[in-house]
Amino acid sequence: MNASFKRGAAEGFRAFLPLSIGLIPWALVTGVAMRSIGLSPLEAMGMNLIVFAGTAQLGTLPLIAAGAPLWLLVLTALVLNLRFVIFSAALAPAFAGYSRARRILSSYLLVDGVFAILSERLLKAQDPHWRWGCYIAPSLWCWTLWQVFALVGILGAGALPADWSLEFMATIALLVMLVPMSATRPMLVAALVGGLGAVLARGLPLKLGLIAGIAAGIAAGFIAERQAEKRRPA
Amino acid sequence: MSEGLWLWLTLLAIGSTTILTRGSFIVAGERARLPATLQRALRYAPAAALAALVAPEILLDGGEFTALNPKFAAAAVVVLVCLRLRNPWLPFIAGMAVLLLLRKGLGW
Repeated sequence: MNASFKRGAAEGFRAFLPLSIGLIPWALVTGVAMRSIGLSPLEAMGMNLIVFAGTAQLGTLPLIAAGAPLWLLVLTALVLNLRFVIFSAALAPAFAGYSRARRILSSYLLVDGVFAILSERLLKAQDPHWRWGCYIAPSLWCWTLWQVFALVGILGAGALPADWSLEFMATIALLVMLVPMSATRPMLVAALVGGLGAVLARGLPLKLGLIAGIAAGIAAGFIAERQAEKRRPA
Repeated sequence: MSEGLWLWLTLLAIGSTTILTRGSFIVAGERARLPATLQRALRYAPAAALAALVAPEILLDGGEFTALNPKFAAAAVVVLVCLRLRNPWLPFIAGMAVLLLLRKGLGW
């Protein structure tokens, strides 16, 4: 551990700290939601460690509860995680010259918040030690917070009354993510078409309505973006 | 196969989508590039997917379209709270309070 690693770690941690506090309710809710569909504490904690992605966890819970086929679960998780492909592509230059083990660990730990707050700094920094500190310190902090508070939720869920419709917490969590995301017009179009599409196509077999809704939403958002560009004077 | 083992396999399959998407370019390195058009289209995937998961949950009641139901009312309050206030706890507290009040208090 050299001095520039420590400086990078300190800067990354300080920048990410305020946002990371917002993760606490999420982790608690995810813990409670996993128990609410009948996962045992061990299974819930296993999911939290293996998947380590709030959106994919909360999004697949209702499908697991409904006994949906495996391919649908995987496809849904994949779509919810597609944003990581973009983050990964954007951030890849910051990992140039690092070992494979370090890249794999970094991949497992990659989360929206660290990317949003630190990607610019990571891509600009020349010193590889500083960069590594600046990425790994906030990422490990985020992982620890997520595991600890999910565990609190998992263990605390048993104390809450069973007839409190706790599974609705997962729906609220998904909405809380969706609202700020829909701030631009094409995003709002993608969300509205995706949501209504899934409702209208609900009669399709094998829960294909969900996939149809998502595909329609992506297409609608992309078209809306093109339209907005055409209208804008060049 | 036992149900427990099946669940663990499911979790591993879901988990593999996270590590594969997160690692796609970080592990492959800078050799690979994502086409710009695809990158733009992919930006809409999370919003479309979140909405497609949430909408049936709050607009359907037992498989039937019911715009006015307790879950929809609670979701509307959650959206309002998110738009107006920046507090990370309030959407959960307000949403659950509305749902429980309507279901338990008023028997809706």
